[in-house]
Amino acid sequence: MKPFSGLFTPAVVLAAGLFVLPLAASAADAELVNPYAGREDIVEEGGSLLNQYCSHCHGPWAVQGERPRDLRRLNLRYGDYAMSTFYTTVQNGRPPKGMPPWKGILEDDIVWKIYTFLQSVQVED
Amino acid sequence: MSRVSRKVLTGIAGVVLVTASAASFADRGQWLHYGGNDRSNTRYSELKQIKTSNVHKLKVAWMHSLGSLETQESTPLVVGDTMYVTTSTGPRYVFALDAKTGKTKWAHQPEMPNDYFATVCCGLDNRGVAYSNGKIFFGRLDAKLVALDANTGKKLWTTTVENYRNGHAITSPPLIVNNLVVTGIAGGEYGIRGFIAAYDQETGEEVWKTYTIPGPGEPGNETWKGDSWKTGAGSTWGVGSYDPKLNMIYWSTSNAGPWGGHTRSIDSSEFGDLTNKWTASQLAFDADTGAIKWGYQFTPNDVWDYDGINEAVLYDLKIGGRTVPALMHADRNGFFYVLNRATGELISADPFVTVNWATHIDLKTGRPVEAANNEKRPQLGKWARNVCPNLIGGKNWSPMAYNPDTGLVYLPAFNMCMDIANKEEEYTPGRFYLASEFNLDMSGASGDHLAEFMAWDPVKKEKAWVINEDLPFVSGAMTTAGGLVFYGNQHGMLKAVNAKTGKVLWEFDVGTGIIQSPMTYTVDGKQYLAVVAGRSKGPPSFFGKIGQRVVDASPEGGILVVFEL
Repeated sequence: MKPFSGLFTPAVVLAAGLFVLPLAASAADAELVNPYAGREDIVEEGGSLLNQYCSHCHGPWAVQGERPRDLRRLNLRYGDYAMSTFYTTVQNGRPPKGMPPWKGILEDDIVWKIYTFLQSVQVED
Repeated sequence: MSRVSRKVLTGIAGVVLVTASAASFADRGQWLHYGGNDRSNTRYSELKQIKTSNVHKLKVAWMHSLGSLETQESTPLVVGDTMYVTTSTGPRYVFALDAKTGKTKWAHQPEMPNDYFATVCCGLDNRGVAYSNGKIFFGRLDAKLVALDANTGKKLWTTTVENYRNGHAITSPPLIVNNLVVTGIAGGEYGIRGFIAAYDQETGEEVWKTYTIPGPGEPGNETWKGDSWKTGAGSTWGVGSYDPKLNMIYWSTSNAGPWGGHTRSIDSSEFGDLTNKWTASQLAFDADTGAIKWGYQFTPNDVWDYDGINEAVLYDLKIGGRTVPALMHADRNGFFYVLNRATGELISADPFVTVNWATHIDLKTGRPVEAANNEKRPQLGKWARNVCPNLIGGKNWSPMAYNPDTGLVYLPAFNMCMDIANKEEEYTPGRFYLASEFNLDMSGASGDHLAEFMAWDPVKKEKAWVINEDLPFVSGAMTTAGGLVFYGNQHGMLKAVNAKTGKVLWEFDVGTGIIQSPMTYTVDGKQYLAVVAGRSKGPPSFFGKIGQRVVDASPEGGILVVFEL
């Protein structure tokens, strides 16, 4: 199901020079680690942090109706690049689309807790 | 030809018109200001060719694409035979259109930076222009004020009102007062310090600027904890009103920022004098100097986002046998206020929706009496549950209308409640600064419907009739001497209603949600009805599943539809 699985890991794509994905490609991407991956005990705290910092556009508990900013569709949209796209976008923002950069404002710890929550609410299609 | 048809069409009023000048007829057929033909924000039109008995015959006369898809919140002006309308996104366009045919006379596209989107809290809107002496004035989301030549669209001047990068923006049209153009400012979610500022219409130079939050040494500064006044909000993103006899400008202010009350007052209902003046307040300003003449605070030490910017509707009401120069205001906090606009004296304050954060407003002190034991007041780390109304308010910015023929106010209300708690948060320029978490995914106390369009009697202080609406964000209202009220909803249905009874007489699906009130005008003696449509896009995101239903109710859009009989 995932559009870039198996052989096409980020590192392989980069090595092959196949810059097929927007935004996601950088050497550090493949090295990103979510320290809370799989931690169910972090999910609720992550959701609460999302509610505080992100819900005004992305909805409380990531529930809202505008498709382009639906964070429940990260995996569906970005596949194996979901994590790097998420992290890069939070850091640098997408100001012309309304997303402010959070680098130096939100600590990585908060960002990863939010990501851990988001991984618990991803949709299939 | 046109003179004959005017006489015929206006019936008995035509007798009066014979003695009146043609100019005065044309004047009444214009829509010169955001809130109607004068600056009292009644949204009442004396036109009555379109009336209860023939409104069902309305059909589309012409349409115009607005060329952007964000929430459409503009009220067109009609000056002579020209309509001036802005679009969303900043605005993306200012159009001058032939009001009879829709033909474009000129279009102005502002050159704007592409990063202002990230410092606008709640939708990329624009609510329209102001007109004076052959000039068009409008504010932009990058916090600039612009003057155009009304005939050609040529840019005359651009003034930077504030720096958009730290959260300032202009969303509403400025107010025309004498030789001045007066603007408010948005940015309460970003820790700005609110103000209104007046500029010379000819040059764009600042004449005066008055902060809504008093600085050190000014009366009211002592109502703030420490330096919290510096980021205390009190923004002025709504519209102003003006009374030419009193030469007073009326503007009201947003809630205090950030939302978490522990940052700027005492974190309890027992906050004493730490009221955070003049946030969530009605202010009256001297039009020549900008000096504050009086203030009345709706929600002292707000912690609910009961942003007080809703419009002030000015009309002289007969209350208890005497005529009062009234100012009517339906607040986000759920109370409908009547103030004396000359003195600021509180006359009445009554709930027009379910209210439980306060039991009542004490008419002697003017202050709300909050629910006991901080039950409905969120505190640091403590949730307040089932607080009504929720933070979108009993009523939001979508304007109400007052009809002197019926003596009723027509207003779009919400029927919703919330859970809300306060959190710790650091201030960063240009970033949201709320210190709050909330859940808005819950309906209100008076049934499953999430909104009501109601007629409110400001003298009897009760509802005259109500139309339940399934979805929130019902549009603003406009009312006419034809015995009608017009409004729309997020399904895209435009409705004409009998102003006395609340009976729906006509509906038309414009294809995308309506949030701004319709308006009406005449050209060559014929009455038209105009509506700007384009579903709300920002605030529904706050509302979880309810917001999802709003978004699903109609596609985003941008269209101006004009109707005729």
